[in-house]
Amino acid sequence: MEEVLKVENVNAGYGKLHILFDVNAKIYDNQITTIVGPNGSGKSTFLKTIFGLSTIYSGKITYYGKEVTNTPPHEKTKLGIAYLPQTDNVFVNLSVEENLRIAGYTLSNEETNERIKIALKVFPELKKHLKRKAGHLSGGERQFLAIATALVRKSKLLMLDEPTAQLSPKFAETIFSKIIELKKEFGLTILLVEQNIKRALEISDRAYMLIGGKVVYEGSSEDLLSHEKFEKYCLGIGVEV
Amino acid sequence: MLGMDVLTGALIYSNLLVLLAVGLTLAYITTAVPNFAQGSFAVVGSYTALTVYRLFHLHPYVSLPLAFFAGGLVGLASYMLVLKPLIKRGANIVTLMIATLALDLILLGLRGIYAGYLGKITGSPCEMFMFTYLDFQILGLPAILVVSTLVIVITFSVLFTLLYKTKFGVALRASMENPDLAEIMGVNVEYTRMFAWFLSGALAAMAGCLLPFKQEIVPSTAEIIIVSIFAASIVGGLNNIYGALIGGYIVGLSESLVTYWLSTVIGAGVLVYGKVIALTMIIVTLLVAPQGIISIEWRKIKKIKRWCS
Ligand SMILES: Nc1ncnc2c1ncn2[C@@H]1O[C@H](COP(=O)(O)OP(=O)(O)OP(=O)(O)O)[C@@H](O)[C@H]1O
Ligand SMILES: [Mg+2]
Repeated sequence: MEEVLKVENVNAGYGKLHILFDVNAKIYDNQITTIVGPNGSGKSTFLKTIFGLSTIYSGKITYYGKEVTNTPPHEKTKLGIAYLPQTDNVFVNLSVEENLRIAGYTLSNEETNERIKIALKVFPELKKHLKRKAGHLSGGERQFLAIATALVRKSKLLMLDEPTAQLSPKFAETIFSKIIELKKEFGLTILLVEQNIKRALEISDRAYMLIGGKVVYEGSSEDLLSHEKFEKYCLGIGVEV
Repeated sequence: MLGMDVLTGALIYSNLLVLLAVGLTLAYITTAVPNFAQGSFAVVGSYTALTVYRLFHLHPYVSLPLAFFAGGLVGLASYMLVLKPLIKRGANIVTLMIATLALDLILLGLRGIYAGYLGKITGSPCEMFMFTYLDFQILGLPAILVVSTLVIVITFSVLFTLLYKTKFGVALRASMENPDLAEIMGVNVEYTRMFAWFLSGALAAMAGCLLPFKQEIVPSTAEIIIVSIFAASIVGGLNNIYGALIGGYIVGLSESLVTYWLSTVIGAGVLVYGKVIALTMIIVTLLVAPQGIISIEWRKIKKIKRWCS
């Protein structure tokens, strides 16, 4: 199995605020890897660190064998890493179409048009809203748009931070099925942070559990689901299983 | 009765104020710097035109493109050398504001030195000057009115096309709204900031190139006009480019016309205190609609009115 991303002994945080401690992780090609953990355990920080949006004190991050520890975010986009933040993940003052266009900023015009077509095939719900301001979309539609922009970016590694947060179970299920589609149809590698733990683990291949900025579990998601301590972990997190 | 030339003067002044305020707003939206040196950027344009006129006898209108670039370079340099390093170190808005005040005083000094030098090599003083005697008429109107209006129309057409029809423009708008997300999308947000400062200086210098057709340039011109520039941006709404357009006309027209009216009532002594109008407008705006005119939801006001009656 090809290694897409390797995180070695990473210590990171915000300014002097140390959040991640000696984190090690491997993300494999065409797999869905899910990160779970309680609120404030550093899940979002983990994604931000990979993307270059936090301060890395020590450690090493490699992407397809190339060191990217200190590569700035816009360069990482060019390398094929897409990151979808937990909040503020669309430009509310731009139209849906402009949001999709800006996502293809590093691509040529023809390529952008082609990618937008593909993204709209996966998210046909957006077609009738192209001229609308993204700020006027519903929460679910906005999340669709956010994932669609990640798709336009022609990335190989897609990092999604709680894409189903605040969505109704029906919308959440739609998002999960789209994520599976992205893996199967587009061959993407997906790194997912989720609060809908059970559902997320069901669709993923591997899992990590973070507590207090440290990795406390690493392995197949199946094993984590059936892990005797899993339920206890989840109770600690306060999420129903 | 309002004299035609009073109204014409007010319009010319407003046109220039709009150019200056758009630049101020652009820099504020992209980098959160309230630039107190914007007036000095303008005077860069005035001196560009004066230099070209004294040395090569070219009409100041011809110098507009050169002023554009000279001002743009000064704007860009100010950002790269002074503001960007401060922002990188996490400077807050007060620090940035003080830095631009210092920058303004530095530019004031450099201007004085340059004026002395230019005066020496051309044999006539350059500390104070006007271009009014160089103006002519187009279709019975003062050329400065026509030219300044044209500059506004062209500037806004180009700006609009850029912002809404080009990839870079959409990236610019995206960076203004959410720079982190723009960076995530692969936009080099730093370029958009540099561009904003270049354009800010360039537009200011174009205004400065035309300003001597309306009023005399004196050593303190920049520091006097900055009050009106801030008033225009704040009245319109510091977070919106079109706010500067609206604010520029509101402040420019009020400042000229209200002062004129007061002078007919009270006496010509009032004319010296024209900036009182601009300053009053800043305070009233901050009290009533801190986000500026552009943020007022007129529909709501109509509703309230209907409800009241
Ligand atoms: N930009 C920031 N600056 C300073 N501290 C931050 C910043 N973002 C997050 N933190 C802090 O870092 C810690 C980890 O936050 P993080 O967002 O990574 O947690 P999380 O696991 O994603 O939580 P949640 O499940 O609530 O999204 C928290 O204590 C948080 O307050
Ligand atoms: Mg989070």
